[in-house]
This record gives sequence, C-alpha cells and structure tokens, in this order.
Amino acid sequence: MSAEEHRHMSEHHHDIPIEEKEMNSWRKKMFLSWILVIPIAVLMLSDRLFGIKIFEENIMRIIILILAFPVIFIFGFRTIKQGINGLFTFYFNMDSLIALGTVIAYATGFLSIIGIVQDYSGVSAMIMAFFTTGKYVESIARGKAGQEIRKLLHLGAKKARILRGNQEIEVNISEVRIGDIIAVRPGEKIPTDGIVIKGESAVDESMISGESLPVDKKKGDTVIGATINQDGILYIKATKIGKDTFLSHIIKLVEEAQGTKVPIQKLADKITSIFVPAIIIVSVLTFFFWFYFTKDASRAIGIAISVLVIACPCALGLATPTALMVGSGIGAKNGILIRKGEAIQTMKEVRTIIFDKTGTITKGKPEVTDIISEIDEKDFLKIAGSLEQVSEHPISKAIVNEAIKKKIKLIGVKNFKVERGRGIKGNVKGKNVLIGNRKLMNNNKINYRKYENKIIKLEDEGKTAIIVSANRKVLGIIGVADDLKPDSVEAIRRLHQNRYRTVMITGDNEKTARAIALKAGIKEVIANVLPEDKEKKVIELQRRGMVAFVGDGINDAPALKQANVGIAMGTGTDIAIESGDIVLVKGNLTGVVQAINLSKATFRKIKQNLFWAFFYNIIAIPLALLGTLNPVVAEIAMATSSVTVVGNALLLRNKKI
Amino acid sequence: MKKLKLTIEGMHCASCAANIERAVKKVKGVKDVVVSLMTHKCFIEIENADEEEIKKAIKKVGYKIADIEEE
Repeated sequence: MSAEEHRHMSEHHHDIPIEEKEMNSWRKKMFLSWILVIPIAVLMLSDRLFGIKIFEENIMRIIILILAFPVIFIFGFRTIKQGINGLFTFYFNMDSLIALGTVIAYATGFLSIIGIVQDYSGVSAMIMAFFTTGKYVESIARGKAGQEIRKLLHLGAKKARILRGNQEIEVNISEVRIGDIIAVRPGEKIPTDGIVIKGESAVDESMISGESLPVDKKKGDTVIGATINQDGILYIKATKIGKDTFLSHIIKLVEEAQGTKVPIQKLADKITSIFVPAIIIVSVLTFFFWFYFTKDASRAIGIAISVLVIACPCALGLATPTALMVGSGIGAKNGILIRKGEAIQTMKEVRTIIFDKTGTITKGKPEVTDIISEIDEKDFLKIAGSLEQVSEHPISKAIVNEAIKKKIKLIGVKNFKVERGRGIKGNVKGKNVLIGNRKLMNNNKINYRKYENKIIKLEDEGKTAIIVSANRKVLGIIGVADDLKPDSVEAIRRLHQNRYRTVMITGDNEKTARAIALKAGIKEVIANVLPEDKEKKVIELQRRGMVAFVGDGINDAPALKQANVGIAMGTGTDIAIESGDIVLVKGNLTGVVQAINLSKATFRKIKQNLFWAFFYNIIAIPLALLGTLNPVVAEIAMATSSVTVVGNALLLRNKKI
Repeated sequence: MKKLKLTIEGMHCASCAANIERAVKKVKGVKDVVVSLMTHKCFIEIENADEEEIKKAIKKVGYKIADIEEE
C-alpha cells in the first residue's frame, strides 16, 4: 500500500471511532430485533399465560417463524456467521454458542409443525434480542472504559500557524516540518514538541503530566505538543513531529500496554480457550441425558439450549482487560503510564523501593552554593568556568551557569581531558588546571589538606565539594548542591506510612549521600556505586524480596530492567523510559505513591472481576443443567454477567489515587 | 524486523482476540502477536513474512481489518 493510500485509509477510518461504530451497530440491531420480538412475545404470552389463542396453532407457528427469521438471520447475521464459521474452522468463539443455541431453537419451529417437538422459535428470537441488548449495553460500558485513552488520541492539535518570512500561514499539522517556527497565541494548543525561541507564557501541561499548575515557559525552554498556551504569545521552533512527539510516544505506550498480559489472567485464558467446545459437548450430553430419562424431547432440547446460551466465557475474558484498560486510563490522566500489565500484579508483592538519587529524588540540576577561595572570586570562577564549559556534566553546567550569572567572561582551553568519576583537566591561560574530587587530587599528588575541614563541612550539608587547582596548587573549593524535588519528602513519608522499605542508591560519596537521604527521610543508603554496578546492588536487595527501582538516567536502564518493577521518570532519557514497566510523566516521587495505589486498586478490581465471572459460571451452568432455567432467562443472566464485569471495572474510575 | 499495528473490526470477546493471535502466529515469519480486545488493536512483529498471508489469516477467522500502520 502506498503512503498516500495509507493516509487516506487512516483518515477515513479515524473519522468515527471504532467503539462508536460498534455501539451504533448494536443499537440498531437491538431496536430492530425488539420491534419484531415484542409481537412474538405478545402472541406467545397470551397463549401460555391466559390461554388466548389469537390465531390457530399452526398459523401462529408460521407467523412466529416469519417474525423471528430477520431477528436471527438478518440482525443476528454477523453473530451467526462468526459462530458457525468458528465451528467449522475450529476457531471457536462465544458466538458459536449463541449461533448454535438460536439456530437449533429456530429449527424447532419447523419440527413443531409436523408435531415432533415444542416450538422454541419464538424463544430463539427473544434470546437474540436479549443478546443484542446485552451487547449494546456492554459496548456503551466498554466505550466508557476506554474514554481516557481515547481522549489521548484526540489530544493533538489539528492545525499550526507557521511563519514563512514575515507571514503567518495556517497549515495542517501533518505539514509542519522540523525547524518550522510556529506562532502560538494565548488559549491555543501548542501544535508539536518544540523549543521556545521568543515570548514568555504559562503553559497548562495537565493533559500530559497530570500537573495541575501551569508551567512558566521562556526562551530556551522546551514545550510539549498538545499542551495549552495560556497567557502570552509563544514562538516555538518545532523539534519533533508526527510519530516522534512526546504525545505519540505516550499513546503508543498506553496502546501497547493493553495487549500485555496480567499473569493472573492465564487461568481464565486457558478456561476460555477450551470453554466453548467443552460446553457444546456438555450440551449434547445434557440433551441425551434428559431425553433418556424423561423421554421428553421438547424439555431436553430446552435444557440443552439453556446450557448453550448461559455458558459464556465472555465475562471471564472481559474481567482482566476491562479493568486494565480503566486502570491505565486513569493512570494516563494522572501522568502514570502503565507499560506492562504484569507490573500491576507484581507491585502487590513489592516491599522495597530503591531510588536513584540524581534526577529522581533530587531535581538533577545542581547549583553552586558555596565558593571558598584564596584568590579573587571572579578570577577563581573564570578559571573554573572556562575549563568546565567544555564538559557536559551537570556539575560543570552548574559552575558555568554561576560564572555567567556573575557576568564573568570565559576563555578558551587547551588539552581538555575528562577523568571519569574523578573530574576534568586542561590548560587555561597557560596554567595546568585540575578540577575534581579528592581522588583526582590524590592521583595527581596535589595536597588539599588545608581545605579538608571545609570539604567535610560541605559534605555534611549534602553538597558536593569540587576542588580547583592550578599548577599543582589548590586555589579553592566550590560547593554544589542538587536540591530535593519539592514533593520528595512527603512522598517518602507516605511510603513509610505504608510500611515500605526505602533505599537510596548513588555514585556520590557516603557523606553527601547520607546528608541528602536524611533530608529526604530515607534511612538506607548505598553510596559510591559506579553506574555499571547499580544492577548488581538491585540483585543483592532482591534476595530479601521483590523490589521496585525508580530511576531516570541512561545508566539506570539495566537496574530498571532487573528490578521486579521498574519505574522510569518520564523527564529522563528515552532509554530509561523504554526500560521501565511504569513511566511517570511528571517525574516526581508523588507519582511513585500514585503508581503503587493505582496498581493495587486495578489488581483488586481484576481479582473481583475474575471472582464474579467464575462464580457466575459455577452457579449458572449447573442450574441450567438441572433444567431450572428457561432459555430466555439463561440468556438474560449471560448478558447481565458480561455487563456486570465491565460495569464493575468502571467503578475503578471513582478511585482517588 | 518490522512492526505492524492493525485495527480490527468485529472483535467482541476474549476468544476473538485469542483466535486472532492463534491464527496470525501460524503465518510464517511472524515473531510475535499481541491482540488487545479493548483497543481493537493487533500488534505484530514480523521478519520476512508475507503481509497478505496475515491479512488472509485474520479474514479467515472472521474479522475485518480496518487499518494497517507500519512502525
């Protein structure tokens, strides 16, 4: 298929959502069926209840056969066709049971004319009418269950106003290219992911992150497509379009998650797969059993039909996916993306939560807090800033920002080199400058003893001390601190309240790490961990039970995968997001608490649903076998069971997380 | 390795989803199939598989393909 054709096809089919299409189709079938079934019911009931015969018996049979025909073979066409097709291809489905039940019941109408058995053809039409009614109600409920997820699909902007020269022209969103400059007026949706190049405004990001407070944006800030610009005009340069945007990623994650399995569902799946053929066999046996013992073919057929229509694996099959869908929908609304259904179940067993420090508990944006130097502060920062401007490390950026803030002009460097895990070195203005931690100084035999007390003091405050030396002489130290995210303390407190064990893992030295952990309220700290060893530490902690790992960086990916539940910060790197079982769009620790609550609530709902579905079948099938249920009542019970399961899943929406 | 995302019409019970999974898995070159009953989506991972064969398999078990997207 060509791209053009493909686009055409997608557009065409996305006009009416498939859920709505199916709902409309069931509604139509339901109304049409009842128009014919109500007269049938009047004819049958006036005869059975009051003994009034409006027509002579055989004429009445023919009238009912004529009225019932369209109900079963026209309005029920798809069901009958699917069901019979399933029987012949051995791909049984629940339509197979309804198809068999109604077709056999209808056929008794002809047999009754020659006087062999009782006429069930009217009953067959009623079964089909109740079946379509049940399906209609179920489709409404299912549509509701998917509401949150569908909202995501329609969240994206349709148009964008791009700048061509001095002119603003409105184009379809599909025509926006990377690098285009887009003007976004107050109240408008930001069309695609980009970076602000001009203007200042507050942006409502609640639809993406669940964060209710608007976020201030100015030149240089990134903006997310589908969020709403509130008060100022923003000019943004498109950085991502189409399938690469943040919204598209979210949609993909959520959609794919719906196909993942929750382990508890396995038993239900197994039962569903053998259910239909098993019931067909049971139903045939039931017929012979009753016929043999009662010699009453009519009664035997009635009971066999009841067994066919009451036994529906549908409730069993809907139990898990509907709850998962409602759960992920609520999650998506709150910025919690469940990527794997399994995580919902595993979360229940997790007792230990391991946090990466930088960017997870802390903001991940270190700032300079202290400058202690024996030379002029400006000269000191000029040397440090000039060397650091070549490095990409967050601490380097903090120092460079500090220099810029103080309006210090930075100069070029030669022979720049990174000493991984230690610091950097290079040549500034003819001086050999080294900037880094104790290890770097020790390795180069530079004496920093004079500053040791001050370094210890900074570390006790949870700051990282950076030693700056030039020509083998220490010039001073810089204290850099990475502040806690505003909600970290509260989130950790809530986790402790729910008796979770919390552990912080970091590459920082013991002292700094302990100080940060103390601030956050975390008691256990694993410090001095090299990036590649985080995974090993997770394995060690797993010896005492299931763990969840919360992290954001590239080097967290193996640990996220290793943990029983990996929770990735959506503000982090793509790799971390790909490795997480749950992604937190907002990227704060409150999200961890919410993700746990949501998982538990969703899993409880799945268990409830499975219980009711099993319970229904365990009660209903024997009742039908014993001949206590009329086929129409059996069908009503069946339809009710499916609707109940979906309805129960919908109750999850009232849950506060 | 290629990923396909199909939108399927006419699926309304768990056995439908299971049937489509079973039928598509049998097509040569199909590495993985996941069908979501709730979103009407079918995710298929293929390597040198004939897409026509996949379409045929789905039609044979009685379902309509409303849309195919390649990822």
